[in-house]
Amino acid sequence: MTTQDDLTAQSDSTTPSALDCKLRARLLLGVRVENDRLVLADDVLAAALDGGAGLGASERAALAGSPLTMRRLRQLSVERARAWQASSGMLRAAATVCVLEQLVTDDNCWGLHFVPGGAGWQVILKLAADAPFAPALMREQPMLRVRDGGGAVILQGRLDIDGECENAWPFDGAPAARLQLFGASFVVEALRG
Amino acid sequence: MRLPGTRYQEHGWEQVRKLLGQCSLLAFSRSDPAQRFEPGCRIDGLGDRLGDRLGDRLGDRSGDALAEYVDLTACALRAAGRSARAEAPGNSYGESVVELALGLLFELQARPGDWAAFAAAVGSEQHKTGAFWARPGGEAMLRKKVNDMFAVLRDKVDADNYQVACGRPCSPNRIYAYRMLDTAYGDIARMFDCWRQNAGQVGVILGREVKVNAAPIEARQMKSIASCRPEWIIRWSASQERFTGAAGPLHTRSKRFASLKNSPDKIGAMLREIGDYEELSANRDGDWQQDALDAGAWLDDLARVLGAPEAAFEPDLEPDRILPASEDDFGSGEPGCGGGDNDNNDNDNNDNNNDNNNDNNNDNDNDDRQVAQLASIAAAVSLPPRFMQLARAAQDQGSWSARAMAGDSLPVRLAVYLKMLGSQDDSYPAEWLDPATGELPTMQQLAALDQVSLPTLRKRRDAAIAGLLAAARP
Repeated sequence: MTTQDDLTAQSDSTTPSALDCKLRARLLLGVRVENDRLVLADDVLAAALDGGAGLGASERAALAGSPLTMRRLRQLSVERARAWQASSGMLRAAATVCVLEQLVTDDNCWGLHFVPGGAGWQVILKLAADAPFAPALMREQPMLRVRDGGGAVILQGRLDIDGECENAWPFDGAPAARLQLFGASFVVEALRG
Repeated sequence: MRLPGTRYQEHGWEQVRKLLGQCSLLAFSRSDPAQRFEPGCRIDGLGDRLGDRLGDRLGDRSGDALAEYVDLTACALRAAGRSARAEAPGNSYGESVVELALGLLFELQARPGDWAAFAAAVGSEQHKTGAFWARPGGEAMLRKKVNDMFAVLRDKVDADNYQVACGRPCSPNRIYAYRMLDTAYGDIARMFDCWRQNAGQVGVILGREVKVNAAPIEARQMKSIASCRPEWIIRWSASQERFTGAAGPLHTRSKRFASLKNSPDKIGAMLREIGDYEELSANRDGDWQQDALDAGAWLDDLARVLGAPEAAFEPDLEPDRILPASEDDFGSGEPGCGGGDNDNNDNDNNDNNNDNNNDNNNDNDNDDRQVAQLASIAAAVSLPPRFMQLARAAQDQGSWSARAMAGDSLPVRLAVYLKMLGSQDDSYPAEWLDPATGELPTMQQLAALDQVSLPTLRKRRDAAIAGLLAAARP
């Protein structure tokens, strides 16, 4: 079967439609094999998900032949996505020279945009659509907080349907200067009960 | 009882079982079932056309009987969906009785072995006593066999759900053992509550004499199943015969719980597991894993895991990490359990009807006669005259599923979506929906649009699903 290539190619070319995603998920998750069992341990699956130790050929074949193990992989994938707690980022040196417009977390999952407005600035937090935890986070809608290196809160709120959240820049002075004062770093985190 | 992932182990199960029995009988019904089903869902019950040959027909190896049964029963379940029984909560995760019943029915569809075991049971009864279902009281006998099938299935399904949820091996028999322990705990707790009336057996359970003027301290200290001591369970079971006349579950002749009877550690661990999870899950409202079912992110993960460069180690030197099959602690001594293992005909892919695809899937809309014909067929099933043309235009031709089903007619494709995703889904284009209902057309409407019989449409739909599945499989 060449379907493994198809599956890989799929994610490379176009983004599959919601309909296709649902259909494929239902197809893959709906298969049952008599006396199916977990053929790979959680740590093996987790390592493969993390991109560390990949699966060998026989392990892949075992996974492909065990819908139950595939469902477990999905569960781990979903849990991993849900488990996002915080992302951090740094202000690059160059950013101090020009006016600060945008910062990105090290994992590329969050952008922080600064837009001049009125007397000061608006700061906008934006979730990258391709962040692995994006779907789970959009569903969960936890309270989010962005803090600078000194721990002061830059922004707090929940994402809107576009995956954005904004408020006025809460400090005196321009963002770049303020951030530099406290180690040029920032962190985006979820506040969960 | 709640365990990670399980959905069919709470009190609501009784109602799920009854609803499935009731709707199965409707599907098999010899009377006119059309009156009882929703409009547009006119069907002939399996038994109607089969008369005396129900048993033979159910055992039909092609899988048609199972497909038909699933469709008919699903139809009956949906029609019953607004009854008090159907709407009642089926578990504490917010799933209703009818949702759970439909879920289990669709599990059956994916497990032809369980259906085969049921068909064999009906067939063997038929051999012995003839068309038993048509005799007075015969319905109850048929319903009992349906009940048995779903009773086996629910533990299989929940054993799988448990493994998916927590990554630990579990068998249907182990689920059964958890339930036995939960029931035993319930009985012990009941006796502890009324210790005066049950002083004799409570004394045996505690292993000491119980004074009628002093409540046993153990009864006050047992706050949940997690604090129930395993030796109490063993002594409770051992004393059941003496106090109730029926042997306790650990002390029957069956070998099923032989390994548990002498393993208080195992019993203790299982009791604690039930108790700990119940405490944990009681504090979470509606955090049920199902909500992420349709999120596509894990498909990317799957593609990545299967597409990543192979592990660096030399396969010949480094053994693979595939887990060995684990030994199950619990024998399957009871009748009715582990049924269907002897008949794995699930490779039956209905590949016999690819040669007669004479459908109107060549996009030749210019042909006036064809347009007129499509319009009159659509009108005959209460759809807009240009339904076929508009629905076809609304397909995303470049999509994976459209490409995979390129050889199937539009009604067959819609039948596939109907079966896989249900009649309503926010990803359906509006042009696919019947304006009268806001849902996909029914199987009956689709069969008319395709100008084929319902069984033929069903067959083609299932063949298309088998093809899609082969394409979706990694």
